[in-house]
Amino acid sequence: MAEAKEQKTNESQQNVPVGAVEAPRYSCALGGAYSTAVGFYGVVPILHSGAGCGIGQLFGQFYTGGQNAGGPFGGTSTPCSSLIEQHVVFGGENKLRDLIASTLEVTAGQFYAVISGCIPALIGDDISSVVKEFRDKAPIISVKTSGFSGNSYAGYEIFFDALIDQFLTPVPKVKGQVNIFGVVPYQHLFWKGDLEVIKELLESIGLKPNILFTRFDALDAIKSIPAAEYNIVLSPWVGHKTAEKLKAKFKTPFIAFPGVPIGPKQTAEFLRVVGQKLKVPQKKIESLIAEKEQRAYRFAEHLGDMLLIVRPHAYFAVVADSSTAISVTKFLVNELGYLPDIVQITDDPPEERRDLIRQELTETLETAVRPEIIFETDSYRIRENLKARSFLFLFASSLEGPTSIQDYGAIHLTVAFPCLDRLILEHTYAGFKGGLTLAEDFMSKFAGPL
Amino acid sequence: MARKADTTRGQVEQEIDLAQPTCPNREERANGINVWYGKASDLAKEARTGCLKRRERRFQQSSGCVLNFYLAIRVGTIRNAAVIYHAPVGCSSAALGYREMYRGIPVELGRPANYDLHWMTTNLNENDVVYGATEKLKETILEAQRRYDPKAIFILTSCTSGVIGEDIEGAVADVQPKVKAKIVPIHCEGSRSRLVQTGYDAFWHGVLKYLVRKPVKKQKDLVNVASMLSYTWQDRLEIRRLLGKLGLRVNFVPEFASVEDFEQLSEAAVTAPLCPTYTDYISRGLEQEYGVPYFMYPSPMGVANTDGWLREIAKYTGKEKEVEVLIKDEHKIWIPKLEAIQKELASVKKDGEKVTVLGALGQGRLLAQLPYFDELGLKSSAAMCQDFDNLILDELEHLIQKMGDFDILVNTFQAAEQTHITNKLNPDIAMTCPFQGGAFKRDNGVTRVHALRGDPHPWSQQSGYAGAIAFGNFLVQSLKNKSYQKTMHDKTKNTYKDWWYKQPDPLYYLAKEG
Repeated sequence: MAEAKEQKTNESQQNVPVGAVEAPRYSCALGGAYSTAVGFYGVVPILHSGAGCGIGQLFGQFYTGGQNAGGPFGGTSTPCSSLIEQHVVFGGENKLRDLIASTLEVTAGQFYAVISGCIPALIGDDISSVVKEFRDKAPIISVKTSGFSGNSYAGYEIFFDALIDQFLTPVPKVKGQVNIFGVVPYQHLFWKGDLEVIKELLESIGLKPNILFTRFDALDAIKSIPAAEYNIVLSPWVGHKTAEKLKAKFKTPFIAFPGVPIGPKQTAEFLRVVGQKLKVPQKKIESLIAEKEQRAYRFAEHLGDMLLIVRPHAYFAVVADSSTAISVTKFLVNELGYLPDIVQITDDPPEERRDLIRQELTETLETAVRPEIIFETDSYRIRENLKARSFLFLFASSLEGPTSIQDYGAIHLTVAFPCLDRLILEHTYAGFKGGLTLAEDFMSKFAGPL
Repeated sequence: MARKADTTRGQVEQEIDLAQPTCPNREERANGINVWYGKASDLAKEARTGCLKRRERRFQQSSGCVLNFYLAIRVGTIRNAAVIYHAPVGCSSAALGYREMYRGIPVELGRPANYDLHWMTTNLNENDVVYGATEKLKETILEAQRRYDPKAIFILTSCTSGVIGEDIEGAVADVQPKVKAKIVPIHCEGSRSRLVQTGYDAFWHGVLKYLVRKPVKKQKDLVNVASMLSYTWQDRLEIRRLLGKLGLRVNFVPEFASVEDFEQLSEAAVTAPLCPTYTDYISRGLEQEYGVPYFMYPSPMGVANTDGWLREIAKYTGKEKEVEVLIKDEHKIWIPKLEAIQKELASVKKDGEKVTVLGALGQGRLLAQLPYFDELGLKSSAAMCQDFDNLILDELEHLIQKMGDFDILVNTFQAAEQTHITNKLNPDIAMTCPFQGGAFKRDNGVTRVHALRGDPHPWSQQSGYAGAIAFGNFLVQSLKNKSYQKTMHDKTKNTYKDWWYKQPDPLYYLAKEG
């Protein structure tokens, strides 16, 4: 039945004559590449664009990604060629040349990424040639991301494409090294905390994770990408192209997971799969899982009374990017006994990855209840799809927050982009403990005298 | 106020031509610039003699464009309207807060319980860039009408729609007969002007051309006030309270206004400023088209400015007697509180030395805030302002005459320059905002320039008498704990290399002329 309804929705979408949508939950390719650059501590983005592109993304990626400031090189600290009409007419290459030269003089960066927007793409600036002039002065790449070439997720992949094509060179493989892909800074709200947990998990089984972002030695983190024994992708689709490209160029195989693991069950599976591929002794993995599980489930006993007396086995709805949607849904169903009503996927995954996402949201669930699954980027239609349903909880973006009780009678928690109602620094739902944190966050919203 | 007839004001005094699709840029209209450093008196002299030049920087940072310096977010707060960005998807991501905007204000404070704000993007892709997207725009307008049944649909344009030469007026003319909502195209291509204030004029041009109706009846007790993002809900309440005591009503536009509020702009008794350069275009337009008088100075910031602002309004509404009673009554309440703040600020430093303050302001705020700081007993030996144009030239000269000369750095959120000058001048209080990068990291006072629209707390207000006192107390508080900025200064790395701070010129990267 869910399937039938889904097809109907897709048909009605085709009847809407435009690709125009209300408030899609991502920015443009420039926004994604820029977020990716800022995610590396020590990489200086240089925007070759209109003057508003950096501030626009300060609001539309960093604030919306959990109220984060731009930091030392984001927002108004980002060098920008600030193109106007005269450059549209005469070209912006000289302006860019001056900007790169001055940026290298004045900023204390480890690595520079020229990220170009709509105007240079439309007027045909030869950015590569300008950037090449600086190759002997600093590590620098040119990332061509016009805003009309795709969304933030595309921007993430375009950034790594540029990095691989223009900068990375083969280095000896390091045993046990794994790089983590598929977690897009800011678009994935909990990127900082989640990556830290993934790092600790992998280190605890003797591996050498390279989480790329938030490392203070950004240049080393970048240079050592080809040294990995394996790449790990934590998304059903984002970062797969990057991993494929690294496989082709540096012969690094990759392991893909549908999302960042939340709670003991997903985390145990994550460790078992990684352990097997990287030949970590099974005993080591199992004893770690046993130890961590015991603690996590003993703690889960503490929430039992509240869960069972106040809101047991309730229906819930999810509106999120595919990886967050899968991890959150599986945790709520398989560990807390909740029932999935509807899952709306908002990150516009390519057609060929959608069956996998559907599978993850149905076949892995420990309940006979199957959620309706809708791929939808339009916030208006997302709201329409949520009307007249059974769910009591809404795990979504902050767009749904203000009117969730009024419109749907549901308690709301922001778990996906955009997120303007929470400050997210190190907060994380990843790992053995992460599920408990998720429980704390949404159960606190209905806590009261028992 | 009377304006001098001189030639340096460029097109400032020229008629607004609503037959045109949009306004002239601030560069042409008022010889606007966004880079300058030196004595305010020299700035005024150069402007007066027509010598000010727009110059390039060799190092520049992202600072906002005509669309994405809040214009986007601002237009999106208009109730019973819809906004369409004719743009790639990234131009509107800054507006993703639309559904939460104003929601933090309690209904008890007068926020309507039910309202819905809407925007769509035409989501321009590579195909659209090659084949054009006016059909897509038209279809999006029809879809917005179907979905939201709005009273007005604003079209915001982008660099991309501009460069590929989209015929916006043609599309609007074509589709308007099929749509109940009034379509209001706003030409705010980011690349059209280097001055973000051009966006304000472009918005008001659309409002004047398409939304304001011919007066049905004049409303003698209605005062137009252009309220901005930097004015909080409490500022509105204070302004409403004061004008209410005079028997007047306030018509707040554009933020959080309804489409009807725009329609009736022509019926008001007067248009009063909160920021003269923000309001300039709509004020002139309303006078020219519908005979609604306006004044530009002062804005209601500080006690003396508020006195003056109320008196100006009273002149146009026949409340000259009532206003004197009001001012007298209000002074009884607020002057003792003002004196307490003055006393506390005077005792911060020894030997009668004044506390110094450096603010980064819009040019309009500059004119209102410096006298207010003076009133509090603060010293502003320098100021930063986003841009400068001839619209405020008379008033700047007036200000210098009244307060003495001061240094001025004209720059639109150039974080490196702002960090440099803050470091160099080392004021007791640096007023900052997110747009100054690391300028807040210092071993001295730091506070914000202003709060934002969604802040409902009386502690955050700045307007009228209550605001003058609230913000005075706020500044006093800012001197009492410096640990955040000091710790961040000590424990985090600088964005710029040491030489940047050691060399003397904030405009080190100003390109040579020619």
